[in-house]
Amino acid sequence: PSKSDAAAAAAAADGKPAPPAPGPMIDPNIIANLHNYITINPQLAIVGERLQLKRLVPMAVDRAIVEIISPVVDRSVTIACMTTQELVLKDHAMEPEGEALRKSAHLMVTGLAQSLALVTAKEPLRIAVANNLRALLTNQLDANMLEQVVAMLVADNLDLCCQVIEKAAGERAQREIDERLGGAYAARARAKAAGQQFVDGALMQGRFPGALPEALRPRPGQLTAQQQRVYEDFAHIPRTAAAAQQSAGQPRPPGSTGQPEGSEGGSIGPPGSRQQPGSGDAEQAAVAVAGGGGGLAPP
Amino acid sequence: MEALVLDLTVTAAKETALLELSKKRESFPELAPYLWHSFGTMAALLQEIVSIYPMLQPPSLTAHASNRVCNALALLQCVASHPETRSLFLQAHIPLFLYPFLNTISKTRPFEYLRLTSLGVIGALVKVDDTEVINFLLSTEIIPLCLRTMETGSELSKTVATFIVQKILLDNVGLNYICATAERFFAVGAVLSSMVTGLAEQPSVRLLKHIIRCYLRLSDNPRAREALRQCLPDLLRNPQFTACLKDDITTRRWLAQLLVNVGHLQEAAALGTDVVGPTPPLQQA
Repeated sequence: PSKSDAAAAAAAADGKPAPPAPGPMIDPNIIANLHNYITINPQLAIVGERLQLKRLVPMAVDRAIVEIISPVVDRSVTIACMTTQELVLKDHAMEPEGEALRKSAHLMVTGLAQSLALVTAKEPLRIAVANNLRALLTNQLDANMLEQVVAMLVADNLDLCCQVIEKAAGERAQREIDERLGGAYAARARAKAAGQQFVDGALMQGRFPGALPEALRPRPGQLTAQQQRVYEDFAHIPRTAAAAQQSAGQPRPPGSTGQPEGSEGGSIGPPGSRQQPGSGDAEQAAVAVAGGGGGLAPP
Repeated sequence: MEALVLDLTVTAAKETALLELSKKRESFPELAPYLWHSFGTMAALLQEIVSIYPMLQPPSLTAHASNRVCNALALLQCVASHPETRSLFLQAHIPLFLYPFLNTISKTRPFEYLRLTSLGVIGALVKVDDTEVINFLLSTEIIPLCLRTMETGSELSKTVATFIVQKILLDNVGLNYICATAERFFAVGAVLSSMVTGLAEQPSVRLLKHIIRCYLRLSDNPRAREALRQCLPDLLRNPQFTACLKDDITTRRWLAQLLVNVGHLQEAAALGTDVVGPTPPLQQA
């Protein structure tokens, strides 16, 4: 293990406080019916019969999911909820309908929690499924054959594992954000019952948002369709590389992008930067990367 | 500029707006509060971040997608730097969405650029000395992520990652955190030491400067100072290796002070600076 693994372990051991949340609640049907969702490549039909793959693969998948799911879902849900809470409350400070706030919050928290869960869990799951399959199939195949069979089964079933974890993260994130926003939903209901215009006063006290230019300043009343769409986009976050490629759009003609593709010496600079970090001072480089604007404080 | 900020939340106009705003970000001092307080803009920037997660593993990030997300990161960096938005940015835990980028290992240019720009956001946070920032970062896994970049990154990424660790160490909370257990101290010490070894092959004065500053700061802690008597790399006492600092009086003085602190008085004197005694170690909290 490398040194940073040790540091990672140290940080994990006493770093982030674990949220006092209940364990992930997976739809019992998916786990109970895993065998219905497992894919076993027809190429493996003959050997599969002898190895009892129909019985062993769901077992390996189930064990892998159990190993990985809890810490990943805990962490993803906690982060997604903290971010969502801050941003939706800010964006809906003048939204009178609790239901509109709830809808935006659910869209955002689900998209964020699932994305985080997927990016965090995918590689550990790949390794865990493979290890569990090896443990169950060892002694029954020669080493070379074993690796081929394991690789094929992992490739065919990894996405199923990911989906189980994403689903668990999304569902728990929705429950948790509702708990966090309970007060905000209730405040809107109270204002409505009293026939008052709802405004979240705590979010309106600073220089901003009042100092925003007219075009950007929040307006009292319900969200526009265009505004709702921003949150609806959280339901369409790509989950495969191909979809991500498509969502990033087509490359523009050379020269119109920020990346210093042809810059001298192949040095890498911040986007939109006119000044490439050269061979100069370390602080200059750090400042250039850290976005300029004032020097570093002297140590 | 208002029109460009509004365009960030319009799918068809988003990409151009990202490019234009990141290019011009330094000419608009109020850009950060505009980005933060306008409707949906931060949500739209977060969508840019998480949208490329599927390209991280297996590595398939294109230059185009890297560009696009780095423009979004540049805007987040702007929010991270601004005194009126920094706290809000931390409160919403947005830096954590960049950590998957720092966890990648692909050496291709789009990935190097992505990691460097992400480190730039964290660098912007630590640039101002603010214990709130240090406390936030220590509550996350940023140190192992920085150590990983310091082990495997490009020279520029290494420099920024070391700068971040340096700024964490310069805060008393950060120094105490890293020196709180032998395991943490040796994790940081081992990476610093392997970077020094690496510099013998591929010199970089700016990286060396940050490494020396990290060591000097570690030597402010009594237990770390003891440990450094044993594990400070010999190269730092080698006049040929440190000759590259001849024009950098500040770093030479740091190095001399470090050597005095850990008991290498002769080598310190040879650096020709006016350090006479060790700095008093900090009382541990």
